[in-house]
Amino acid sequence: MKLGRRAFLQFAAGAVGGTLLSPIPWQLMDDSAIWSQNWWWRPSPERGEITQAATTCMFCDGGCGIQARLVNKSRAILLQGNPQNPINAGGICPLGAAGLQFFYAPYRVAQPMKQTKKRGDIGGLQYISWDEAFTMLSTKLAQLKSEGKARTVAGITGQRRSSMDDLWQQFFAGYGSPNFFRMPSQADSLELAAKVTLGQEVPFAFALESASYVLSFGANLIEGWGAPGRMQAAYGLWRRENGEKPATKVVQVDSRCSMSASKADQWVAVAPGTEAVLALAIAQILVKENLYDADFVKSHVSGFDDWNDAQGKSRVGFETHIMSPEYAPEEVAKRTGVEASKIRELAKEFAGSKNAVVVWGESSGNLPGNIYHDLCYVALNALKGNLKSGGTVTLAPTVPFEPLPGLQMDAAAKRNLEEQRLDLQQSPRARLNGNGLYAFLDAASKGTPYPVNVLMVHEANPAYSLPENKLFQTALEKVGFLVSFSSYMDETAQQADLIMPNQMALERYDDAIGVPGVPYAYYAVASPILKPMPGTKHTGDVILALGKSLAGKLAAALPWTDYQAYLKKRVEGLAASNKGAIADRAGMELWKLQPGDLVQTNYKDGADLWKKLTSGQCWYGAPVSAAQKIETTSGKLELALSSLSFEDLPDAGDKVYLPHFAQLSPSGDPKEYPLLLVSYRTMSLADEYLPNPPFMTKTVWDFVLKGKELFVELNPQTARSLGMGEGSRAMLKTPQGELPVRVHLFPGAHADAVYIVEGLGHTAYDQYIQDKGVNANSIVEVQLDPVTGLGTVWATRAQLRRA
Amino acid sequence: MKEENKSASGKGVMGGIIFFAGFILALIIGWVVFPNLLYSQKPQPMNFNHVAHQDSSCEDCHAFRADGTYAGIPKVEKCKECHESPMGSTEDERKLVEEYIQKDTEIPWRIYSWQPDNVYFSHAPHKAKKVECKECHGIMGSEKTLPAYKDNRITGYSKETMKMIVCEECHAERGVNNECELCHK
Amino acid sequence: MSEAEHAKSNVLYGMVIDLDKCTGCTACSVACQAENNISFLADDSNKVRSITWMEIYWLQNGKEYPDYQFTYLPRPCMHCNSPHHSPCTFVCPVNATRRDETNGIVSHIYPRCIGCRYCMVACPYHARKFNWYDPSWPQTMETMLSPEVSTRMRGVVEKCTFCHHRLLAARARAYLDGTELNTVTYTPACAEACPTKAIAFGNLKDANSDVAKLSKDQRAFRILEKLKTEPKVYYLSKHQWVHKLGDKGLSA
Repeated sequence: MKLGRRAFLQFAAGAVGGTLLSPIPWQLMDDSAIWSQNWWWRPSPERGEITQAATTCMFCDGGCGIQARLVNKSRAILLQGNPQNPINAGGICPLGAAGLQFFYAPYRVAQPMKQTKKRGDIGGLQYISWDEAFTMLSTKLAQLKSEGKARTVAGITGQRRSSMDDLWQQFFAGYGSPNFFRMPSQADSLELAAKVTLGQEVPFAFALESASYVLSFGANLIEGWGAPGRMQAAYGLWRRENGEKPATKVVQVDSRCSMSASKADQWVAVAPGTEAVLALAIAQILVKENLYDADFVKSHVSGFDDWNDAQGKSRVGFETHIMSPEYAPEEVAKRTGVEASKIRELAKEFAGSKNAVVVWGESSGNLPGNIYHDLCYVALNALKGNLKSGGTVTLAPTVPFEPLPGLQMDAAAKRNLEEQRLDLQQSPRARLNGNGLYAFLDAASKGTPYPVNVLMVHEANPAYSLPENKLFQTALEKVGFLVSFSSYMDETAQQADLIMPNQMALERYDDAIGVPGVPYAYYAVASPILKPMPGTKHTGDVILALGKSLAGKLAAALPWTDYQAYLKKRVEGLAASNKGAIADRAGMELWKLQPGDLVQTNYKDGADLWKKLTSGQCWYGAPVSAAQKIETTSGKLELALSSLSFEDLPDAGDKVYLPHFAQLSPSGDPKEYPLLLVSYRTMSLADEYLPNPPFMTKTVWDFVLKGKELFVELNPQTARSLGMGEGSRAMLKTPQGELPVRVHLFPGAHADAVYIVEGLGHTAYDQYIQDKGVNANSIVEVQLDPVTGLGTVWATRAQLRRA
Repeated sequence: MKEENKSASGKGVMGGIIFFAGFILALIIGWVVFPNLLYSQKPQPMNFNHVAHQDSSCEDCHAFRADGTYAGIPKVEKCKECHESPMGSTEDERKLVEEYIQKDTEIPWRIYSWQPDNVYFSHAPHKAKKVECKECHGIMGSEKTLPAYKDNRITGYSKETMKMIVCEECHAERGVNNECELCHK
Repeated sequence: MSEAEHAKSNVLYGMVIDLDKCTGCTACSVACQAENNISFLADDSNKVRSITWMEIYWLQNGKEYPDYQFTYLPRPCMHCNSPHHSPCTFVCPVNATRRDETNGIVSHIYPRCIGCRYCMVACPYHARKFNWYDPSWPQTMETMLSPEVSTRMRGVVEKCTFCHHRLLAARARAYLDGTELNTVTYTPACAEACPTKAIAFGNLKDANSDVAKLSKDQRAFRILEKLKTEPKVYYLSKHQWVHKLGDKGLSA
């Protein structure tokens, strides 16, 4: 039989029929559809059991409780607020919520590195072993010590409210160098203000949650001032009466319509930098119209009336001084731009509110303030009687640790060591010794009276985040050897000769000692909830190992085997005090605690306390009344700086002893630089040790950052007069430098000022962070406070011209 | 004429046979050859004998977690409870103890019911509605050896991976919500 | 499903955002990104390409210094409730986006989406975003992706799901505990993160829930109410100018 075309077709028809009755077409169609969904290059997240681990957030010193969601107990997928923590009560800030982007960041330093070429050449940084890195540093330190040059070793830390800070101090004291500094903070000047007025060198704390009237002088309350988590929670409380009048009236004095100003019940717009004179005008009205707390002032305040100095010379007191016409509402109205009637209204409202509190924060809230201005605000609080027991202003309580094992050093030796500190060798010398980082950098850049041979930088990125950061750069040119302990390849690490990468916040033991601005005592431990990145080492362990290798006094001062043992010992010491308690349930309103309240201990012993703290719970204690802790010679709150001497300024009069308006004059000719450059912070831009994570950058407005260009804010009228409009490209020039920017018209900007955001303009890290905008710190001007020597920033003269 | 007729009818019968041959061949290919071609058999890291574990209940190993999710195949930690050191002398147990328990690594089981990333499935409602395990997984408790794992060459998923149509039909029959987001994430 | 069945449901999830409590910290938006595996770009300042589910808007009162005032307005998907006429579900040609009749949540299924972007055009709230590129992460950051939400692919639309996966997880627990399913509550990532507790979430049909009470507050309003899309996201503000802008439509 011949099979022809016809047979073939018959066969084919049969085959088609058979195929249609078989699974082939349907299965293939279905499977192809599934295949088309397989985009193999898309990551497929590992599945498994999801658990939670609680710890303390270490991305800033706000002390929030957080918990991580973990897959198979090893991989973190989300950071959340811990509802049991009294500071943040379950909420979280954007930096915390994005925190895992630091843990899993590609720009982490995976292993120690040393610079093999010229400093700053990133290509010259090569991986070395921990042994090599450690030997490099310990040999250097041992050699300097044997040569009697211990004091030429210096350190800067960004972690001030932590046992790391204490460990560094212990290390430096034992090693024999006084040159240990911290990154600047508002606490620097607050501590000194408390020292001269109350005789206690601890920062003030504010009972904000229970306040009914908050008068804020430039404090960016909801944009990073104090402890961000706590401030956000407090803000929620202030607004707790839905629909009705809010529970707390907030008045914001600010030159810019910041978020804090816009969200306040009242924004008092003032000329840039004139907040303090407004405070003095209010003080004058209070005194003049007898609206102040006369009982408190009489019983607890000295320097209100005329007073005698150490030489017995009679000097003018605050009562007389404040009546100066300079502070009359009409005069102040001219300076600030606030109508005199409005100032009077403000003063009466403040005086008439039961739980009113004055808070402040120039220098965008994270830098030391002008000490005289700090004192103006303290004075205003004192006039209102806020510092009395149960008042809204208290002193930050200390956590009752046992003292660290003593160094075999007598007081004279210690003082001698302190005296040699580089910042104190500068002229003119500060009248009050504080955290003189800027004076230190200045001395380091001159190399006199002695050079800095080794500088160790820990949890800080001064090359980027220090205002007027070129001062760090200049100092670096004379620094012999820079060691960075950064976990990340940041701008400072890039400059380092040796990088010894620290473990990151979620993988190390750490702690938070107190929370900025919070009245009750607070202590929380951060424990490693994630496996540390291999190749990183806890800086605390490095210090302890250095102590052992250098022997001598250091070994006795640093007896712990590792950082965990040190921390555990501290916690045992805290337990031995038998004070305070663990916050063990959600919804504890610790802000209701009053000074003197008895807190019932609820932990058994040191081991129990350690267990609870490492499981993410926190310890707390009662607040400390300012009035009951006064340790000045007069036993009273001293409104006049009787402990300081201004004999060298015979022409200054009595004013220098009293809170007064002492705006520092920015350099530059106002004709050449007609505008004032003021920097501001926002919650969606990280501007300190940590760079901005991609999640947060996504929330930055496209009229703040567009592509690689940063926008400065300008009042529409000012822009018009300069011939600029929305998006105009311009050169922003200050005596410190010049940067290309674009202009955003912002009706909330004062006509005389130009505002620049902080946190942009990184040159390090990765493509998601670097080269976005410009760094405000590179063109702002730091001015040293003449009394404290601390670096302050309020404004920089600037000019803006079309590019 | 007759001849032609005869031949025409013969041709018709012949044509039918050819058609039928093609039909049968296609059915054989479709039902027997194709499935074997479509799936490649992949080995499990070792055998697991469910029968040998009959002294424990199913829930001892296949349990819900406290958060309402289902643990599925237990972790090696669970095996360790009994097999810290070998209890018997099989090669599979030796492998379990030496390569996984002692090294503390998870056994890379191939999961028969593995669903794509965009599928959400929770055992909890099915358990609550008394759907028996065997309705989807077959009767596993009486198996001495693990069934062959058949990997679909096109999709990359197991042959046992349930397809959406099966889920949908069952939901429809029982009058359960069939909203997309119920099973997709 | 029929309208009658929808009416029978006792569950209607909704959200109330108190703009008077909102401090514009953007934690909601960041937490949302982390929770939902939202991808990011090297240049996220291009807001047309950038993907956000909880987008933040800037509203201003239009006055000059010193009477100027502004507020942030976080905007998730509104999960419009107008029966069968949520703008997006109505136009989707492939049924990739639907409103769940049992709880009111508007879903979007990525593998089903063909990327035609009709829904984006239809949505008056700009709540939908398109994947112009393959979502990608620096390799080390792939480790922090959540298995509870699938990663997307290039060419599909995505949007806020009211953290639907958290609802499913809560329901799974309820099944095992024997809890009545209609009483299941859960908290989306944004509401959980909010440090001022400005975001309330819950069942609008439960008269005792915070959202039910707050949605009837005299400060309450919804965006573009005139379009009758019946958003299930309410806002609270004491400022009339904010209400007015909400009615006019927003611009970022």
